[in-house]
Amino acid sequence: MKALVAQWKADLIRTARDRRFFVLTLLMPVGFYLIFISEQKGTLHIAGTFWSAYFMVSMATFGVVGSSVNTLGVRLATERKSGWVRWLRTTPLTPVGYALAKIMTQLTLSLFIVMVVFAVAHFGQGVTLSLRQWIEIILWLWIGSIPFAALGVLIGLAGNAAQVLGTLVYLALSLLGGLWTPIQALPKGMQDLAHYMPTYRFAHPAWDLLSKRPIHSSDMLVLLIYTVIFVAAAAIIQKRIDSRPESA
Amino acid sequence: MNHVIQLERVTKLFGSFSAISDVSLAVESGQAVSLLGPNGAGKTTSIAIMLGLQHPSTGKAKLLGKNPGDAKIHEKIGVVLQNVSVPDRLTVTECLNLFRGFYPHPLPLSHLLAIAGLEEDAQKMAQSLSGGKTRRLQFALAMAGDPEVLFLDEPTVGMDVASKRQFWDALREFVTEGKTLILTTHDLQEADVMTDRVVVMNRGRIIADASPEQIKMEFGGRQVSFVAGTDSPIPTLRGWAEVIDVQTAGRQVTVVTRDSDVTLRRLIRDNWDIRDITVGGGGLEEAFVRLTNDKEGKS
Repeated sequence: MKALVAQWKADLIRTARDRRFFVLTLLMPVGFYLIFISEQKGTLHIAGTFWSAYFMVSMATFGVVGSSVNTLGVRLATERKSGWVRWLRTTPLTPVGYALAKIMTQLTLSLFIVMVVFAVAHFGQGVTLSLRQWIEIILWLWIGSIPFAALGVLIGLAGNAAQVLGTLVYLALSLLGGLWTPIQALPKGMQDLAHYMPTYRFAHPAWDLLSKRPIHSSDMLVLLIYTVIFVAAAAIIQKRIDSRPESA
Repeated sequence: MNHVIQLERVTKLFGSFSAISDVSLAVESGQAVSLLGPNGAGKTTSIAIMLGLQHPSTGKAKLLGKNPGDAKIHEKIGVVLQNVSVPDRLTVTECLNLFRGFYPHPLPLSHLLAIAGLEEDAQKMAQSLSGGKTRRLQFALAMAGDPEVLFLDEPTVGMDVASKRQFWDALREFVTEGKTLILTTHDLQEADVMTDRVVVMNRGRIIADASPEQIKMEFGGRQVSFVAGTDSPIPTLRGWAEVIDVQTAGRQVTVVTRDSDVTLRRLIRDNWDIRDITVGGGGLEEAFVRLTNDKEGKS
């Protein structure tokens, strides 16, 4: 436990010094938010709420997905390649402890990203929700980010390809899941496709909460299935890598 | 249970290539052991198996009497691996504190900075350190948990002479505290200076396992050279039990022997007509060359 906390603390310090993190996962969502809101009036109605609130959720999820899939994936791949992970395996920090520390770090960052985007929307664009809504949405986005952390771990196993793969997956999932353009504005085929995207299933309950609609259990089920797939795939690949001569 | 490390007939295959074959090795508490051998001899694989980073294809490995992968026993060991960098975006102090956080009874930060000689670099980013200083930081990280057993895989590669000296001093202190040290090296001097048991590996096998002195004596061969008189029965030298080899260049004779004292005594006793006698050679280096060139090793 002590080892886990030490690793978590160190990872937070490292992220705070990482420019890539700030540009990719904070500046981009916040920037997009401000640009798109001023272009297409924030007071437009969409899915039972205002565009400024709807897109706030889109960009918060976009940021969370970016930090989980892309930043975490690249970070893990780098640590693996540098032999650091191999070394850690000789310390009392167990592989499970290492993974948990990474997930705790990721959850901390996700919460931070959501708060920043929400703060910009609230103070910059006058998005107002009831306290209960704020808390519910933040909690959902927090917990719902877990499958993306698992996907980040999976991409982290891709070695040198992690950076390219992470960026591709991150952008594709964001686009196809309707985080940039609401799926209501997409052609039918893409709408259907969006329903299979974890990103859509991640943002959808938050959009529902915005318009005070009940949330769908199907969203959670799909995310759960994705989580199982990502974790299982990561475990299998991890095992293969471990049986190679030298991972360093 | 007093075996710190135990490998029992361990073979490790990668595909059809066997990195080590049928390696058995037991290390007692308090020993300082070096694994010596050329690149590809199987030293790193052996260490990886001792640490549980690799699993034996056949055979058994135990560390402190337990399964090497057991996280609990990792509290008692410190490790420096090869080709490992230090984490980015952390200072030297933060790296050390990270590792100190892993262990139940860490050494004080100031002590770790001192053994690494990094007091002045404490606030520098760990990744900006020079190669030699990085190795010293890695050593300090390995020492963070006040280990009973220290594994060092090629610890002094990339260090300059002064760094090496300082490092050896720190290591010697560790060893005199009665702790166990395993190091791989192809620096013979290091093996000779730091350890009291040398395990020579070649092509995945252990080909010698003895004290540096024994190895030097048995495989290094001291040389006794002299200028022989014309009627000296040079060929009879080869029949002497301790003599390994005899080389002649004109009347200059060089006898390679396991025991130069015995050879000298015989030469004097038998009243050989010889002059300009010199005795020399017999370093670990010669032993090493002899051992690793000889495919099957032991005679």
